[in-house]
Amino acid sequence: MGMLFGKPKVTRITDHDRAVLQMKQQRDTLKRYQQRVEKLLESERELAKRLLSENKREKAKLLLRKKKYQTEQLERTEASLDTIEKLIQDLEYTQIEIKVIEGLKVGNVALKKANELFNIEHIEQLLDETKEGIDKQREITDLLSGALSFEDEEAVEAELNELISVEHQKAIDLLPTIPSDELPVTVPETKEEDKLPTKKIALEAQ
Amino acid sequence: MGDVQWPWQYSFPPFFTIQPNAETRQKQLDAWRTLLLDYCRTQKVSVIDVREGDLLPVFNNTTISRKLSPDAIMTVLGVLQKTGNAEPLDKTRTRWNVYWHTLDEWASIVYKWAQDNAMLNTVCTFYEIASDSGDLNGIDDGVLTKALRVLERRQQAEILTLDGGSGVKFFS
Repeated sequence: MGMLFGKPKVTRITDHDRAVLQMKQQRDTLKRYQQRVEKLLESERELAKRLLSENKREKAKLLLRKKKYQTEQLERTEASLDTIEKLIQDLEYTQIEIKVIEGLKVGNVALKKANELFNIEHIEQLLDETKEGIDKQREITDLLSGALSFEDEEAVEAELNELISVEHQKAIDLLPTIPSDELPVTVPETKEEDKLPTKKIALEAQ
Repeated sequence: MGDVQWPWQYSFPPFFTIQPNAETRQKQLDAWRTLLLDYCRTQKVSVIDVREGDLLPVFNNTTISRKLSPDAIMTVLGVLQKTGNAEPLDKTRTRWNVYWHTLDEWASIVYKWAQDNAMLNTVCTFYEIASDSGDLNGIDDGVLTKALRVLERRQQAEILTLDGGSGVKFFS
């Protein structure tokens, strides 16, 4: 309607939509037909009643015969309606299925992309690069802090040892000198002999 | 379609003559606006022909034998037009569309219907929409088309036409 010229930019309507619409239109036509026949049946029933009350049996019979035919017609319509509705449902369902498959496809692509990240070679390369980086970093730190060669390291180690031994000596020197004179021979005091009187006794016993 | 609940003004003869006093007229036209919209909603009248106005009971109270003249009908419709509740269909302003919901409201109602019935991303016929049991039941094709045009502008729908019959596809 009013869209004959200057088609609107990009239409989002597909041929599939048109097909579904066509089916639905047919369904509507059937529904409307059904309505019409139902109304007709109703009015004819009324008419037949009236004819009967007016004693026009033959006419009423004719009318009822017509009515019977229309009822059959209505049943046929019902069957077609059923078929068409099924078809519509199928059509719409395929559309949904297509969407599902599309969704699966997208998911698959995403998964593939994610897996590409986990490519072994890639990871090996990544690890190598990391290692290189770490090495380089270490080199830089070494340079900056004026790292020592192996010999220097030994020298330092030796100096450290010397210092330690000197300190050691000092510590030894600080210790009280061991008395060199002979120790008096004493019997170690026992606990029971702690008290003086007993000590005396102990001495006496000597 | 239920019976119309007539307001008291409906049985008040001066109501059928546009009042000269500005203040009174304002009140009168407000009452007419409410009455006409109510009437159109309950009786599902979407098109009014001014020349045949007296065929509609709303403009013609036979009990008190008072009618609203075509000119007065035009005035009332003009009031409705200002609020987006009516629109002339021709240049001579004799045939009018009456919208008891404004077109924007209709558009939202239709879209909500599509959402509620899971009709997004599928096509449906106008007949399908008009067979709804709610507000949309028996909606006038012309009004529906206009409401859908609003949705088209909102990028929420697209109308498609196939040998005479029309359908619409809703988008989420």
